[in-house]
Amino acid sequence: MNTNRRKQVNPVHLSSLIRWLLIAAFLGASGLCFLFIKNQQFALAEEIRQMERKIANVRSMNETLLARVTELSSRSVLQRRIADGFISMKPIQDNVIARLTPPVQATADGVLRTAFNEGIRQ
Amino acid sequence: MRWTARTRTGIACAAVALVFTAYSVRLVDLQIIKHQEYTQLAAEKHTMLKVLHARRGLIFDRNGELLASNLPVRTIVADGSHIKNPAALAKLAAPYLDMSEKELCAKLNSERKYIVIRRGLAEEKAVALMKAVQDANLRGLISEEDAVRTYPNGQMLGHVLGFLDHDGIGIQGVESTMEKSLCGRDGYRYIEHDRTGREIMLYRGQEEPAVHGLNVRLTIDMGLQAILEEELEDAFKNLRPEMAVGIIADPNTGEILAMTNRPCFDPNHPGDGKDDQKKNRAIIDVVEPGSTFKIVVASGALNEGKVNERTSIYCENGAFAYGGKILRDHHGYGAMGVHDILVKSSNIGSAKMGLLMGPTKFYEYVKRFGFGDRTGIELPGEIPGLLSPPHRWDKLTITRMPMGQSIAVTPLQMTMGMSVIANGGRLVAPQIVRSVEDSDGSVVLAKPPKIVREVVPQKIARFVSEALTGVVGEGGTAQLAKIAGFTVAGKTGTAQKVSPNGGYAQGKYVVSFVGYLPQENPRFVCLVMLDDAKVASNLNYGGLQAAPIFSRIGERAARYLDLVPTLRAEPASPLASRGEKMERTN
Repeated sequence: MNTNRRKQVNPVHLSSLIRWLLIAAFLGASGLCFLFIKNQQFALAEEIRQMERKIANVRSMNETLLARVTELSSRSVLQRRIADGFISMKPIQDNVIARLTPPVQATADGVLRTAFNEGIRQ
Repeated sequence: MRWTARTRTGIACAAVALVFTAYSVRLVDLQIIKHQEYTQLAAEKHTMLKVLHARRGLIFDRNGELLASNLPVRTIVADGSHIKNPAALAKLAAPYLDMSEKELCAKLNSERKYIVIRRGLAEEKAVALMKAVQDANLRGLISEEDAVRTYPNGQMLGHVLGFLDHDGIGIQGVESTMEKSLCGRDGYRYIEHDRTGREIMLYRGQEEPAVHGLNVRLTIDMGLQAILEEELEDAFKNLRPEMAVGIIADPNTGEILAMTNRPCFDPNHPGDGKDDQKKNRAIIDVVEPGSTFKIVVASGALNEGKVNERTSIYCENGAFAYGGKILRDHHGYGAMGVHDILVKSSNIGSAKMGLLMGPTKFYEYVKRFGFGDRTGIELPGEIPGLLSPPHRWDKLTITRMPMGQSIAVTPLQMTMGMSVIANGGRLVAPQIVRSVEDSDGSVVLAKPPKIVREVVPQKIARFVSEALTGVVGEGGTAQLAKIAGFTVAGKTGTAQKVSPNGGYAQGKYVVSFVGYLPQENPRFVCLVMLDDAKVASNLNYGGLQAAPIFSRIGERAARYLDLVPTLRAEPASPLASRGEKMERTN
């Protein structure tokens, strides 16, 4: 009996075992890779989202500053500042103008005027 | 009964199979039969449509000066389903939102998913608020991108630019007429968000980018606009008229170089302005033009051959009985030619030219000059004026209309009518939009000048133009319109103001001057109109009130445009010595 049983021991099919182990390992690795890539995708997407938000913020700040610069350098603000005496403008003297059109006589104060009627203004 | 092992095994298998079948049925029910329903439910819960706002186009003047821009702001919105502690959130956010904690808490105490908390919050404040909310680990507040329209020049050019309503749609001025070009098209993006409300970018869905609005370039020259505004503001303060209008246009192209009204408003705060202040009176108010209208009858009569340069018309020594009424001139004149009739602004001479033409022909010329029709300028609300056809005229109309009564015109029509004489007889369509451009500055839509029709031949226009030079010269009604160094042509108008109760209002006048320079080759035509200036009745004339304003504007404009003087520049003589020869023409 014992002799027969020893003769009937089931052999381990190594090749089959290895094949299944490899399949299991492949499947496991695939799953892990899938998870890793998916997590990486999420992380990268989150980075992109944060970056987009930062860009949008910078763009908004830039536009805000541009709007302020435009407002502060607008004609009406500059005119008000001239009137308030914060900035001043000097009339252009005749001798610093190069003209292509026929020359016009400057008045006694040296200021070039193509037209004048201050007499009426007073 | 004793069950055999086979039977028991069969029953057990059947039971297991039944359980699995039940599960399978449920799975089929969930995954196939109710798939659509649950997909929709999930989408409603996690997916939302995010609007990608289009940026509104900018508005520039002809030299690229920015007239209307956008200021980025934020709209703060709350999602009630994400708010766990409204009191804490209100305490944190209230100072940033300039709201009381109580008021904010009341708004946050809701299960609604979209509660607008505050519009137009400054960018810096919104960023600081969102950071504070994040640091405090609170949820439920969302900041959305938005923008408000700003007009850097404030009141200047307000009537032309217009403003937007609460939904960001242009409702006045160029903002309204060019709405389609300026507004662009909003885009969209389907997004999914997690339970905290943050977008899961990986599941970003279908998307269409926003198409930003196009930029609009106007024909306005801000240099000239500033001059016109300043002078008209001075006149408005000093003379205190009910309204004042000023227009500067290029007579050759019809381009409006400057346009302003008083009273005015600030388009940055349209709600603060009264309705009366928001009217662009240059196109929506009508007035009797007075003597400025005499150019129409003179041109028509000359062109029809009813009179010529040498024809002498008897002006009845200042009193002409017609249709049972006496028509008077301020001074009694005898026989005068067409030139002198215009220079002296004779009502009787003009009426007689009208009679020579007859109602039908005169009406035809009034129409040819563009009166009674909208000019088609790119501004909303323009009216055609009031002009009755000849079959509705009474017997007096043919003698009154030639001197600018029995007709109502807009200041813009009057300006374009004078442009006909200035440019050699062509009626040009006024335009205020020069081009539509994309963000790179490439022209998408160019608007070339448009000649509507030839009204009179160049020869006739030149003759009338010479006569209008006399109006500003010695013996004319508008000597104060003179500009040293230039030949100025123009016409005064002094019309009695129409009373709302019928007839004319006693002692109230609409005075105007419309002229151009240099007369030889006009670069611009300018109209100044004052309604009921608060001055003594014997000083309330176009030649005394509007003409000096024109002169100052013309002088500064000539300098600005660097026009080369055509005459020897001489300082003008004092104002006081000139008032004596002024005359009221009706």
